[in-house]
Amino acid sequence: MVSDTKDEEMICGLTVDERDALRRELRELPDTMPPRVVWNRIREQAEAEGLLQKPTAARSTRWMTGLAIAASVVLAVILLPTLTSSPELDTTITEPQVDATDSDLGLTALQALMVQSRRLESDLRAMPEEPRVMRASTVATIADIENAIAAIDFQLNDPSVRMTEEETELFWRERVRLMKSLVQLRYAQAQRTSF
Amino acid sequence: MSKFADIQIDPAIVRRAARGDARAHEIIYRAFATPVYSICLRFTRSPAQAEDLVQETFIEIMRSIGKFRGEAALGSWIRRIAVSKALMFLRSAWTARSQSLGENWDDEIAGDAVSHGVSRHPDEAIDLDAALADLPSVSRTVVWLHDVEGFTHKEIAKLMGRSESFSKSQLSRAYQRLRPLLSTGDAESAATDALRSF
Repeated sequence: MVSDTKDEEMICGLTVDERDALRRELRELPDTMPPRVVWNRIREQAEAEGLLQKPTAARSTRWMTGLAIAASVVLAVILLPTLTSSPELDTTITEPQVDATDSDLGLTALQALMVQSRRLESDLRAMPEEPRVMRASTVATIADIENAIAAIDFQLNDPSVRMTEEETELFWRERVRLMKSLVQLRYAQAQRTSF
Repeated sequence: MSKFADIQIDPAIVRRAARGDARAHEIIYRAFATPVYSICLRFTRSPAQAEDLVQETFIEIMRSIGKFRGEAALGSWIRRIAVSKALMFLRSAWTARSQSLGENWDDEIAGDAVSHGVSRHPDEAIDLDAALADLPSVSRTVVWLHDVEGFTHKEIAKLMGRSESFSKSQLSRAYQRLRPLLSTGDAESAATDALRSF
């Protein structure tokens, strides 16, 4: 944009300092986030108009299971440095551990991971709403994590996919790890916006 | 600079969106929904109308993103669509009320300060947000486009289908209305100084 000439400042009847102060204050006025329902309406209209691709049905082949596991592990490796360098995350992401209380209750490793995953889901639901203004990189990171979790859930819930107990446990471990990253990111965000 | 310019989207996400990827569009929506909604709300002052305009804007983005070549920033492109939609709405609203984009300040519909409970008492008029909402819609739109979004008078004139002098005139009149806010601080300081002298 090209700034206007000095003549306009005279027409406007403000001194340069007054005009600069006004512009600064106008730009600092808070933004407002639209209600969540707006995206649902947009999506419905877009789908009705054929503007969005329909998700392709996944083939329940054995190699896809392996691919999904590999993808989620690679994603976790890629995301971890991004998350730890995010200004909205100043806490260290740690490897999810099976809670001692769960072991004490005699749960298997898989059961303990399932319990831990449910607890993290509950923690996430208890978080305050997302802040009005978020960095685009944070938005993208959150979306990537949610995408990865959705991909894992798809595999875990697909009855046609037969997995060994070891594979199932690997999926659940990865799900817990991603959930933990998501919770920590949202927690750091909430702490940051509360000040 | 405009808040739209601060938002960066990975070109890979834009390419995915151009292929109709729902997740990519959701990422773009989540990044830009707040500034788009805010600008629509500033122009219309109606949450329901602003929501409709957000919907129209993002549907337009989905229809047109395949033509987006990345020559300008994505934020500038999205802002242009949002402003265009909002102005289109305002034009239709003005037309419906048989109201022209007249040059006369008094011909404009007064802001709904009364309905919003905004007093003109100096103590309460320090709220710039309320004062902005109190401006007639044409002036408020010109102020926002010029001083916040960084459009030139020439660009505003083109967007509104009016002359540059119309844009300048609206801005000048808006400044006259907002100027007392800027001097409030000085008046308060002067009063405080006067009290201290006793």
